[in-house]
Amino acid sequence: MSFLLHGLLYGAVVGSVLLTVTAWAVWFERKFSARMQSRLGPTIVGPVGLLQPIADALKLMQKETIFPDNADRFLFRAAPPFMVVFSLATAAVVPFGPDMIAADLDIGVLYILALAGLMLFPVWIGGWASNNKFALLAAMRGIAQGVSYELPLVLSALVPVVLAGSMSLSVIVSFQAEHGWFIVWPPGPGLIAFGIFFVASLAETNRIPFDIPEAESELVAGVTTEYTGMKFGFFYLAEYLHTLVSAAVAAALFFGGWHGPWVSGLHWFVLKTLVLFVSIFWIRWTLVRFRADQLMRLCWKWLVPISLVVLMAAAVAVQLGEGR
Amino acid sequence: MGYVLDSLRSMGVTMRNLFRAPTTVEFPKVKRPRSDRYRASFALLHDEHGEELCIGCLACERICPSAIITVVQAPKRESAVTGKKRGWCADLTLDLNACIYCELCVQVCPTDAIIMVRTPEQPAFEREGLFLSMAKLYENEKLLEPSWGTGTKLLEMQDPKRGAEEAPKKPAPAAVQPTPADASGSTSEGSA
Amino acid sequence: MSVELTAQRRADPYLDLEDYDPEADLMVLNVGPQHPSTHGVFRMKLYLDGEVIVKAVPYVGYLHRGVEKLCEKLTYTQVTPIVDKNDYVSPMMNEQAINMAFEDLLGVEVPRRARWLRTVLAELQRIASHLLWLGTFTLDLGGAIGGGSTLFLYCFRERELVLDIFEELTGCRFHYNTHTIGGNRHDITPGWAKMVHEAISVIEARTHEYEAMVTRNGIYADRTRGIGVIDAGLAMELGLTGPALRGSGVDHDLRRDAPYHAYDEVEVRVQTEAAGDCMARALVRIREMRESVRIVREMVDGVPEGPICGHRPIKLATQTKIKAGQAYACLESPRGELGTFVIAGGGSGTACPYRLKIRPPSLHALAAVPYIMPGHMVSDAVAILGSLDPILGEADR
Repeated sequence: MSFLLHGLLYGAVVGSVLLTVTAWAVWFERKFSARMQSRLGPTIVGPVGLLQPIADALKLMQKETIFPDNADRFLFRAAPPFMVVFSLATAAVVPFGPDMIAADLDIGVLYILALAGLMLFPVWIGGWASNNKFALLAAMRGIAQGVSYELPLVLSALVPVVLAGSMSLSVIVSFQAEHGWFIVWPPGPGLIAFGIFFVASLAETNRIPFDIPEAESELVAGVTTEYTGMKFGFFYLAEYLHTLVSAAVAAALFFGGWHGPWVSGLHWFVLKTLVLFVSIFWIRWTLVRFRADQLMRLCWKWLVPISLVVLMAAAVAVQLGEGR
Repeated sequence: MGYVLDSLRSMGVTMRNLFRAPTTVEFPKVKRPRSDRYRASFALLHDEHGEELCIGCLACERICPSAIITVVQAPKRESAVTGKKRGWCADLTLDLNACIYCELCVQVCPTDAIIMVRTPEQPAFEREGLFLSMAKLYENEKLLEPSWGTGTKLLEMQDPKRGAEEAPKKPAPAAVQPTPADASGSTSEGSA
Repeated sequence: MSVELTAQRRADPYLDLEDYDPEADLMVLNVGPQHPSTHGVFRMKLYLDGEVIVKAVPYVGYLHRGVEKLCEKLTYTQVTPIVDKNDYVSPMMNEQAINMAFEDLLGVEVPRRARWLRTVLAELQRIASHLLWLGTFTLDLGGAIGGGSTLFLYCFRERELVLDIFEELTGCRFHYNTHTIGGNRHDITPGWAKMVHEAISVIEARTHEYEAMVTRNGIYADRTRGIGVIDAGLAMELGLTGPALRGSGVDHDLRRDAPYHAYDEVEVRVQTEAAGDCMARALVRIREMRESVRIVREMVDGVPEGPICGHRPIKLATQTKIKAGQAYACLESPRGELGTFVIAGGGSGTACPYRLKIRPPSLHALAAVPYIMPGHMVSDAVAILGSLDPILGEADR
């Protein structure tokens, strides 16, 4: 098959599967969080509320699009689709199974981190174009947070790269399949790097406790205050997609991806992603959010130094390993 | 690092609640029981001989703080049961839109004619549906479950002489002297 | 931005902003009447330098319903259900405050059973109000979709137990109209005390869970420690009462210092904290909740026998005519000193009060806003407002 056809086909499959999975991930989160809050969650639409995402999508689609006065129309329209596109594009290099990867790039990790950085733009564009002080404040906070937390994200994502010797995600997963998951071996750097990667991903995807860009109680709806209908739906979808893909990437980088005890394959990958996703939203529904400056302090004073140390430790471990 | 431990502790609480039975129910299918005294809507009653209890005395109309009851009196005539002349009510309307459910109309009714009902959720699709006509009020007598409170029972419950013979004689509590530093307590001048 | 100017602003918050550095760009953010966390329709105009608040101006009056004027046309017996809706979160307190003032004017003695029952109901209402406060405060800090809402729903789940108790007693879960001049209108049912015991045991047990999620949580502590410090002098000058005052270290509680109802027969341990910040107020309220649980547990079984009303019950709207006189009665509501001042009509007596004035504790709490907000950030503004526990229904009436 030609390279282009392979890419298109895989891209279409991965994209559609991921979008569907995200929609039902929303359902899962709603049910799970409802049980944590002593209530029932969606129950009416479909058995156990399974058709709720469809109902939500239909609802969002039929809502009126409102353009605020003096809003920058082009930018206002441009922001949501870019969010979704960048989130989906991140999934192109994630190895779902031994040979299931849409684009086996040599620079897989770099590509993911670059896209994570690019995702700040739609947030900022949306906030600016809304012509709304709350949205502007939220966008400013979002940029500050996103840019700051990119550092620990990059540094901790580099630990598996250093340990495996390659930036390609499929190589990293194969390495873990042979030598043991990075979270347990070598002992130390992998676990701490995972912790930092997890926290930085929470911050990059604007999840509580780092959701000041969308702080409902202070800034109404943050960046998405003026967005209605499917535009808002896109932001929402993109956030979920980004969370899911972050969980998938963490599973691939630190937990050995599709590798598992008896039969390796897609099911292990899905299980690991699911566990990480559950812990992400479990944290979300439990904790209150950080204030902007406390968040920055956490990043610059704690996460960046620790991730630097961990990276050096990983490099030392590799040197010692080569000596063996 | 303290954050991590605190977060884990909080997450433990949430996890515990995950395994508790949910408190909410799927409402229209499952209804929760209301107390005996629950106040939801109104009904006008007939007595045991089938005669209307309402004598058109206007007590409920006058007591209502929201002024939602409108009573039109009918001329006095004899009752078919007792043979004595009594008042009648030509029309009694109650605007449930503006009712504050204070139960005062029930309390003042001398004949226990108007009562509240404890069947909850009496919704309507239009405002007019909540404007209870006399026919609707008499219909509620048959359709909906009455609440505990009636005029007689409420007055009996609030009677100052109730239970006085059982209660041992207790001296009036000593008046508490507020200290000068306090700007509180109750001070009153004048007389009733 | 200079720190000294913030201190100056703290001393006189209504200082004109013209003498502020004209080079700096101040953004005016209107935390408007419609906002997810303004505890009612409250408007705050924040002058921001980046994220730091330089000046905060509160605007009240969006929920003004003319209750006091309305009460001039209502008879004494009709006022109670209307005034119920002032502090709509703790209606028992409103009813009790009003009826205490009327009882003073009439010289009616409230029977012991009624006083006892009023005390129990007041403490139960305090538990319910503080639970609501805790839920909404965490909601402010954590977001409607997220950790805040979890605790909010837990608190409301417990609050439902208290509301069920009230429903069993009065028939209404909210806005009961269960007090009247001279006592109460509804007496307790046979299984009521048992219901109360069960409910407060659950509440007491769950308070430990809340503490794990709230006061012992590092993120929460970061958001509330050192934020919105009201020192004792400022609190007393503003007329602040209740947990806000006790959170600043002032040991004052009307239940102990000027007992009413049956508080002279039970010990009330007043909770204070010295810090004066949001965390202190939160701790005071949680401890007060536990204290109320203890008081209810002590009192609910020993309700003395006797009538529940010392004055003839309402049969006619105009039956209670009060001649000239004025009275002020106050009680300790979950927000502070809720007082009612009533001037009776003159002459041979009127059925309606001449003037009814309610002293709402929330209004005095909101008066603290311009003093304590400057220097903090926007996120803190919401936290501070939540910790003062304003209820706009009573602030605006």
